[in-house]
Amino acid sequence: MPRYAMMIDMERCVACQACTVACKSEWAVPLGGARTRVRPAGTVGDYPNFSSVAYVSQCNHCDRPSCIPACPTGATYQDSTGTVRVHRDLCIGCGSCLAACPYDARYIDATIGKVDKCDFCSDRAAKGLQPACVLTCPTKAKTFGDLEDSSGPLFKTVYYGGAKRVQSSDVEIGPNVYYQAGNAHFEMAAAAFAPHPPRTITANRVWGAVAQKLVFVAIGATFLGQAVAFFRQLAAGEHQFEE
Amino acid sequence: MSTISATPLPQTLTPEQAREMAQNQIKKHVVAVVLLHWFNAFVWLLELTTGAALIVSPSLRFMPSWYLIMMEQLFGSRANLLRFHIAVGLVWILVCLIYVTFGWRHFLHAEVLAKEVALDRDDFEWLKMRSLALLKKSAVPLPPQGAYNAGQKLYALMVYTCLPVIMVSGSIMSFHLFGTVAVQWAIVIHFLLVGTVVSGLMVHVYMGAVFPEERPAFYSMITGMVNELYAYRHHLKWWAEIKRQQQQWEESLKLETASPDAIGPASDGKPAPGVGSTSAYQACTADANEV
Repeated sequence: MPRYAMMIDMERCVACQACTVACKSEWAVPLGGARTRVRPAGTVGDYPNFSSVAYVSQCNHCDRPSCIPACPTGATYQDSTGTVRVHRDLCIGCGSCLAACPYDARYIDATIGKVDKCDFCSDRAAKGLQPACVLTCPTKAKTFGDLEDSSGPLFKTVYYGGAKRVQSSDVEIGPNVYYQAGNAHFEMAAAAFAPHPPRTITANRVWGAVAQKLVFVAIGATFLGQAVAFFRQLAAGEHQFEE
Repeated sequence: MSTISATPLPQTLTPEQAREMAQNQIKKHVVAVVLLHWFNAFVWLLELTTGAALIVSPSLRFMPSWYLIMMEQLFGSRANLLRFHIAVGLVWILVCLIYVTFGWRHFLHAEVLAKEVALDRDDFEWLKMRSLALLKKSAVPLPPQGAYNAGQKLYALMVYTCLPVIMVSGSIMSFHLFGTVAVQWAIVIHFLLVGTVVSGLMVHVYMGAVFPEERPAFYSMITGMVNELYAYRHHLKWWAEIKRQQQQWEESLKLETASPDAIGPASDGKPAPGVGSTSAYQACTADANEV
């Protein structure tokens, strides 16, 4: 099976947002949401020898996603290509995964009340097509490919140097969007958009720590009480003239 | 009703009276209630078995993975399982709304609720004595009870409080209403209240289906009828009320038969407890239960 990944060349990116628009148009992403976008991080160098730094943010399809265990209904899952996807029929729009994602890659689609995010254009990949953002990029800053394919465009850079992952000492969950950039560029972007540790929403903490314990203690105690009563009843036996 | 509670509990019945009363059937539940009860039972069975398989987060799920897989495969996919859970829930809400709408005057107006759900002084006393009796610390006879005893009333209160909230929180999740925070808390509330009802439900099923003293109550949920002896022993205030209504009805019969065009002899004298014309008695109790 393939293991899909994305490579973004930061120094080629001119922050034109063509990928953002292509993605929105391809997947009918509503106003206020984005599966991918280009976020300016600042500039490197001094006038006149300086360049702007842009960070392309999207779902990282992590090796150990923090969003999957956070989802109560199992709507978020990792398919056999390693792509992290959202099953729309199962999503109830609770937003647990939004808090759990260290990269803020997810949004709530207000028109349907459910979560949406980049899925590496899975429907297009299944047909052998490149993702919309990759095809549309005028400077060819984005490369999509299979990490298992040793002759593919990503293999050499990812496994033999040159590819960088945006991680921190708190968050090391193996993102599969790699960046190619000089140290100054990369560090500026990585500092500006450093991943935050996954958060568990208060409701889920209360659910696990309080609600579940209360319910199981109540049901367990009732069960034990009834078991005692039932065995007493068995021991007593039945009589013809009970009344 | 309240005057009865002041009178001492009559303890002795002659064997003839007891035999007669055991034969005599009183209507306890109207058909609508019997049907709704078993519909409810069926819905809870379906919703609990499917709902338990819908919590799949590794940190929050409580069913083993073989169960989750079994239910998924049984319904084709987890999405179908969720659709089924929601569909059954919506039908349940609809049926309950119909019951509330049409039953408002009969089952759910203040006078009936005050009698059948609200706890009076006897009920609190009953709870105390029953708990002590369970712990084998009391052999005092229990205070007289209405159509439902204090335990049943407590269960009804809990169910009446929880059901609307379960329905609303389920709808919030199903239709993603009021934003993410509402959905987040709806899950927790849904889980907590279903758990609360289930712990009560276990007692309800045990008392109804297994506990020997309440067996007539179980059959009454099928036939709608209980025998008079059971009513006398377990629901004295309700029995007295039925008797009072029977008496009234017979008084009115007497007036009718006193008129010249009436056919048949007039009955005179009040019947002893449990002794009376069975058909007339049943007609009377049927009326009484339509409140």
